[in-house]
Amino acid sequence: MSAGVVIAIAHNTVREAVRNKILYALLFFAVLMIGSGAVVSELSYVENQRILQDVGLAAIRLFGVAIAIFIGIQLVYREVDRRTVYTILSKPISRAEFLLGKFAGLTLTIWMQMVLMGAAFAAVSLAAGAPLGWPHLAFGLLIGAELALVVALSTLFSAFTTPMLAAFFTTGTWVLGQLTRELRDIGAASHVPSLQLATDAAFRVLPDLQSFDLATEAAHLLPVTASDLMLPLIYGLGYTTLVLIAAVAIFERRDFR
Amino acid sequence: MSECPEVVAVDGIVKDFRPGFGLRTKRVLHGISFRVRQGEIFGFVGPNGAGKTTTLKVLMGLIRPTAGRASIFGRDVGETGARRHVGFLPENPYFYEHLSGREILHFYAKVSGVPARDRRRRVDLLLDWVGLSSAAEARIRTYSKGMQQRVGIAQALVHDPQVVFLDEPMSGLDPIGRKEIRDLILRLRSEGKTVFMNTHILTDVEMLCDRVAILVGGRIRYEGSPHEVLEGSERETDLVVDRLDPETAALLEQRGATLRGQGSRFEIRVAEKAVQEVLGLLVESRAEVLSVTPHRASLEQLFLSTVEGSR
Repeated sequence: MSAGVVIAIAHNTVREAVRNKILYALLFFAVLMIGSGAVVSELSYVENQRILQDVGLAAIRLFGVAIAIFIGIQLVYREVDRRTVYTILSKPISRAEFLLGKFAGLTLTIWMQMVLMGAAFAAVSLAAGAPLGWPHLAFGLLIGAELALVVALSTLFSAFTTPMLAAFFTTGTWVLGQLTRELRDIGAASHVPSLQLATDAAFRVLPDLQSFDLATEAAHLLPVTASDLMLPLIYGLGYTTLVLIAAVAIFERRDFR
Repeated sequence: MSECPEVVAVDGIVKDFRPGFGLRTKRVLHGISFRVRQGEIFGFVGPNGAGKTTTLKVLMGLIRPTAGRASIFGRDVGETGARRHVGFLPENPYFYEHLSGREILHFYAKVSGVPARDRRRRVDLLLDWVGLSSAAEARIRTYSKGMQQRVGIAQALVHDPQVVFLDEPMSGLDPIGRKEIRDLILRLRSEGKTVFMNTHILTDVEMLCDRVAILVGGRIRYEGSPHEVLEGSERETDLVVDRLDPETAALLEQRGATLRGQGSRFEIRVAEKAVQEVLGLLVESRAEVLSVTPHRASLEQLFLSTVEGSR
């Protein structure tokens, strides 16, 4: 595995994204949504600042996920559809290097978008006099890890199916990932062994994306401990690695006809 | 040539594709074997759908063979390292449209392992070779098809490979572009490179190739000198004639010519050896000869006759 090759492909992927106008449109709407928190908060008599931050943090997360899925699902498909993959893979690079380079490039792109959305959020909060602190930074770090995981999932699905199906699978996994704890609790409360087994298996197999959500802590400036941050980060890193290994294994076997 | 070392060795490659979601498979390559030797221009020829591009994709590691083995410089084509000294131009190549010609060549140079200190010089040299120096800073999306083909050639050569695989390299080029590519291929041979070329254009085979393999229906039907095959093929000539009277038309048909047309204008196909006699008859009858176009039998006909002759 050559780091130089992975970096070259990642750099090219970032450059392609930066020159893509659709991404700027999505970013514009994200910033607009964050800004609209100020308007929405004005409609309330109480906790204006909390509402402003709730809307802003939700916008960062949802637009981040939308962008991750939107770009991620086209990751492999576009390369195959436009046949650029023929010239790339005929070079002395492995398919794993190619896929990891694409993943790294897309993840970096999305993190750059997040920094811009975060800056817009900070500007709106400061303008409204809403407090900012360590929980906000922790929120950003964990969303960054969650989005890397979402990109890995869309990479996995785009390695073997069409963008439409990849979008469906990735979105479905993300939605289920928000609900795994509830599903497990429902199963446990049901006292039906087969249901308990199924919901417990779903909890273990599907990503537990709720562990990345510190929006409440950030909006209320609640204390965030080192373990609140580190455990999800380690979990995210491990899960993302496993998903990428599966994506590479599938991609390695694929024929480019 | 026979004492030259082998660059490409293909042994019993079989490739099955699954056309749909079912279990049924379609065999595209039926255990093909051939050799390409160092320093030669090897023509891999055959009609559309014969399996030429599939073979090339197997050699580039883009498709896994169902059975058999292929190697380049002794390394299995499934290994990444087998492509270290290989350049590849796909048919109708596509590139990242957001990049300029110079940027794309820098990118390919980097992923091909060209040292950073040599990249700029190598990219400048190749841009000059393929005549794109003045358009180097323009985005690929603004390039014509011919210019994209030139970028394709340049990226295939960016790391100074020892063997170059070209899939229909003249595709989409005007006559001047075709000549330039032919000159480039000959130049590569003069530098000691090996060239593997997929083509269905017999003129290119005749002008360029030292050896050929003929692929028909996923099977190698011939491997050897192209001249033996081409010289054995029957040449024919097409004439377009106006003011042809019925008597002369009947005389021509008696001499084996095939006539198609209406009124007084006809397209006449005759064997090359009968052209002089037919032209004499036409001049005598005061018919107007509009064009004379010599040509060979189609590739399919040539391949079929090759196969028949080998039985």
